Amino acid sequence: MSRRSRAAVARSAGGDRTLTTILGLVLVATSVLALLVGYGVFGEFRAQRPLIDPIAVQWVTDHTAATRWFAVAIGIVLFVVGLWWTLHSLRPEPRPDVSLSEVPGERLTVEHAAICDAVRHDAETIEGVSRARVRLVGTPVRPALRISLHMIEGSDVRDVWAELDGRVLARAREAFSVSALPTAVRLELDATSAPTPARVE
Amino acid sequence: MRLLLRVLAPLLGLLLAVLGLAIVVETVTLWVAPASSPLVVPWPAWLAAIEGLTWQSGAVRATAVVVGLVGLFVLLLGLVARRHDVYLADPVPEVTVTTSPHSLARAVGHEVRSHSDVVSASVVASTKKITVKASTLDPAEAVRDDVRAHVDEMLVRLPLARRPRVSVSVTTTKGVK
Repeated sequence: MSRRSRAAVARSAGGDRTLTTILGLVLVATSVLALLVGYGVFGEFRAQRPLIDPIAVQWVTDHTAATRWFAVAIGIVLFVVGLWWTLHSLRPEPRPDVSLSEVPGERLTVEHAAICDAVRHDAETIEGVSRARVRLVGTPVRPALRISLHMIEGSDVRDVWAELDGRVLARAREAFSVSALPTAVRLELDATSAPTPARVE
Repeated sequence: MRLLLRVLAPLLGLLLAVLGLAIVVETVTLWVAPASSPLVVPWPAWLAAIEGLTWQSGAVRATAVVVGLVGLFVLLLGLVARRHDVYLADPVPEVTVTTSPHSLARAVGHEVRSHSDVVSASVVASTKKITVKASTLDPAEAVRDDVRAHVDEMLVRLPLARRPRVSVSVTTTKGVK
């Protein structure tokens, strides 16, 4: 299994998970620290000090300019990170068109829908497959296929993927004139008991 | 959990962005035009409200506990929302084949129910373990070995990357055969 075919299995939630985990850690750490101070772990005296500590207030008054710059910097960082995170997780996963040639004057790209329809048609003719869904992921220069196959009850997985690799993917590779096309296949085992009737186009 | 993460992640991001924007706006307002401060966020009122509170105050502790619980929830959400794909052995290096635990359980369930002595069955599957619970009208012992053999044979046909442990429990129910 290559890194690219593994990445094509599903849209990554890594960014969302990392940021959520960090945010959770920060909140928990803040809360624990506040509770520890309150219960006098850092000294009985410190626990009795006001929240708006006069020493801190004095420091801020003495260093007004520095505090302001610091506050503005924190604000900007939070704003940028938050906005980037929001846009990043709301953006749909791209469906790249594939560029076969970048030579000026001979630029050739194939539309996403054309490729996916062709591969889907091929995949649905495999014995034991009732329905297929195909999409491309990645970038136009480094695309990867994501195929989801609904299998008919009792069909043999090995036969299906032998035909998938030998015929369907071989044709796709030939069309892209590449020796290897990263592909993630998702099998829905025993999804239906009978083949789906052919689509009316 | 993954769905919850998909919904909450943009909201958390938006919350951070709004917080950052508020800090910048209020700081700059206080700096440039102190007369019109506070602009949007009534922070002097908040400051007055927590005046006189100490770290020991009940309100401070309660707030800390609430923040901690919310933080714990967000932390767990980030840690738990992973994928549970079941990987199959790769036919060729450039191809990754997966299936869902649900679909694996369905396939095993079909296999178990096709056994003539099994009246009903439920299956839970994951990458590491497949749990089969079946009921039969016959003595449970013999049927259990049969069912296990069936499932094992099916797993041989299905080229999983990692062979899960199989646990089969069969109970005898009352009824007419």
